[in-house]
Amino acid sequence: MTDLHIPSPAKPHGGPALRDNARARTSRGAHRGPLAISIAGIAGLLALWELIVHTFDIPGYLLAGPWEALAEIAAAPGFYWQHSLMTLEASALGFGAGGVLGVICGAVIFYVPAIRHVLYPSLIAVNTIPKVAIAPLFIVWFGFGLESKSFVALSIAFFPLVISTFDGLASVPSELRELARINRASKWNQMRKIELIHCLPSIFTGMKISISMAVGGAVVGEFIAGNSGLGFVILVANSQVNLTSMFAAFICLAVMSLALFMVVDHLGRILLPWNVATSK
Amino acid sequence: MTTSPVIELDAVGMTYRSRKETNTVLDGCTLSVGRGEFVSIVGHSGGGKTTLLRIISGLIHPTEGSVWVNGQHLDQSLSDMSMVFQKPVLLPWRNNLQNVLLPMEFRGRVTDTMRAYAMELLEMTGLKDTARRHPYELSGGMQQRVAICRALVSHPDIMLMDEPFGALDAMTRDSMNLELQRIWSETGRSILFVTHSIPEAVFLSDRVVVIGGKPGRVVADIAVDLPRPRTKAHRYTPEFYEYEQQISELIGAKESIA
Repeated sequence: MTDLHIPSPAKPHGGPALRDNARARTSRGAHRGPLAISIAGIAGLLALWELIVHTFDIPGYLLAGPWEALAEIAAAPGFYWQHSLMTLEASALGFGAGGVLGVICGAVIFYVPAIRHVLYPSLIAVNTIPKVAIAPLFIVWFGFGLESKSFVALSIAFFPLVISTFDGLASVPSELRELARINRASKWNQMRKIELIHCLPSIFTGMKISISMAVGGAVVGEFIAGNSGLGFVILVANSQVNLTSMFAAFICLAVMSLALFMVVDHLGRILLPWNVATSK
Repeated sequence: MTTSPVIELDAVGMTYRSRKETNTVLDGCTLSVGRGEFVSIVGHSGGGKTTLLRIISGLIHPTEGSVWVNGQHLDQSLSDMSMVFQKPVLLPWRNNLQNVLLPMEFRGRVTDTMRAYAMELLEMTGLKDTARRHPYELSGGMQQRVAICRALVSHPDIMLMDEPFGALDAMTRDSMNLELQRIWSETGRSILFVTHSIPEAVFLSDRVVVIGGKPGRVVADIAVDLPRPRTKAHRYTPEFYEYEQQISELIGAKESIA
């Protein structure tokens, strides 16, 4: 988790020997540059924000500066840490469960045509219902607390993985399927040795989209069902017109989302080194 | 050489029917491939060459006629076949040795003998040192050689090749032709080879089958009587040129000599 990977447009090209060199360079040194630029970029944006608050003398009930918000966190680190953990727990649970369900669903939809015809259209239809609108239903079913929050996160995190798993399986080159057929591979072997591994990069792309959405889902859950978590903090801060606390919670959320995204991104790089190498 | 044909096609036809139209791609194709023979199929693109190959591989069923492999009807045949595609289609997460062994994994457990044979094949194609490397570390020509090793590892009776060098540059293609000739003579497989390139077909083949017309039929079946092993120098002999010209005229003047 050393950097935010920003794909560079320049592709090092050449024979195998050349490419080895290029790879060694990117894995060690070259990524540090973009990381520094990323940090500088974030710092620059924060500075600009601070500058705007000061130069235009924006009142505290409209906008809080980042410095103020960070000071607020520093003043009550335990408070923000605890609530962040609550949100993190709901996001992670929702993302984990939604992700597993999504992958299973996507695979079943792909492999069983009967289910595809029945389930896929209704799934898409259900997905068009805003999750915020269904959230109160979860409270009816699961009450106030972690379950409801997690279910909102789950309902949002689920769909990208259905699509990405399905698309990943559908994009397996037809030659690979023919290769399996000519070699009289069993369906199970074809799935296990070719198709399911082939769709992993696509699943990871889905996970990268899903993870931030899961955090959003957890916050929505906390808006509606919460007595804890960053969503709850925002809600309380809103009722007190305490924008400093609200922005402090925003910062916590942003940092959490970014960290989760980077964990997923990094995991993808560790687990699928061949994908990093081939998509370079 | 044609005493015991490994492949026999008897009046094979292929018609695709949809609600709106029927499209006959192949009609009355009769041909045979002898044991250990190298036969090329040439013709216009879209002329049904690949369809013919896919029928022989059993991937699709002909709507007419029948295919016999080693004297048995294709559906009942237990003969091993393998295919090399235009793209290498290797699995990027496997190293080259594991890629070569994939067909054996599909058949069951991989034994040490199989592993040794896979290494032997990689050595034969000059890839011994890259066995533990991954496909993306190799050039296109090297990747295609891995794919050829993969097609040989199961000791297939018949190797089907669908424009395997079509995506390679001319120089790599020439050296791959030399290499394939050597692999073929060393392993003694029967090879059915689809190509666009007339020189390539003449250079490699015992026989060149020309598919032409619409729907595609066997227009000519030409035995290439040139000494083996053939070298680059053979390409510039009048005999070679004569074969090229003959085939080119049979395919039709429209298609330029590649």
